[in-house]
Amino acid sequence: MLKRKVARHPMFRISCQHASRLLSQREEAPLPFAQRIKLRVHLTVCDACTNVSRQFQTMRLAMQRWRDKA
Amino acid sequence: MPNAGAALTTIEFTVLAEHRAYLLKVARLQLRDEHLAEDCVSDALTHAFEKRASFRGDSSLRTWLTTILKNRIVDLLRKQWREQPLEPAPSGEQEFDQLFDNTGHYIEMPSRVPDPAELCQQDGFLAAVQRCVDKLPKRVGQVFVLREVFGSDTQELCKDLGLTSSNVWVQLYRARMMLRTCLEKDGFGRAET
Repeated sequence: MLKRKVARHPMFRISCQHASRLLSQREEAPLPFAQRIKLRVHLTVCDACTNVSRQFQTMRLAMQRWRDKA
Repeated sequence: MPNAGAALTTIEFTVLAEHRAYLLKVARLQLRDEHLAEDCVSDALTHAFEKRASFRGDSSLRTWLTTILKNRIVDLLRKQWREQPLEPAPSGEQEFDQLFDNTGHYIEMPSRVPDPAELCQQDGFLAAVQRCVDKLPKRVGQVFVLREVFGSDTQELCKDLGLTSSNVWVQLYRARMMLRTCLEKDGFGRAET
């Protein structure tokens, strides 16, 4: 599939380890353009990092719910 | 009505004190020290009471009290961090190497959270998250709680703790990776039950 080819291209290829760091960083500040593209391409082909992205969002929501619970 | 002022004062302090349990909960998570947490909360309530005229009501009383508590806590942490600066942080790369294979991919598939909002409504899950936060290394936990409970952004964290922004991001990355590892053992699985 085309998107897999793109994701494997050296210009876009990043490891899950790198992607996870970007996933955390983007919770804090907008990513620079190049990183944003690489991450987006990676997420289209990587279920593991898509799940981690969800997990990070869940943690943020959980902390808010925990705080606001009477 | 000679006693009107006094009566009002009594009521107001009672109203503030209603938030005590809430403030204690967040102070405990932040400081991991019962006495220190109680001191901070008492301080914050006293200060709020003295400054009650400056409460404008544009935010909720709880938000206002939380800000006052946060300032107390930040003063305390700033002192701690100045006396004992952060050791050069692991870059956050090697630290989690064991989670990845030699091509940098996850060895174990991270759990899928089908419905974060639903999961976060479960008290059991929130309790698991709290347990995992309490297990974070002290400094990592402090940065994370300031970020996620008190809502400090990168700029504030840098100023308050004397860190660079990349340092803040590394600490938060470490916190999140440790938390997700902890929640893989007890937490995320609750989504399926």
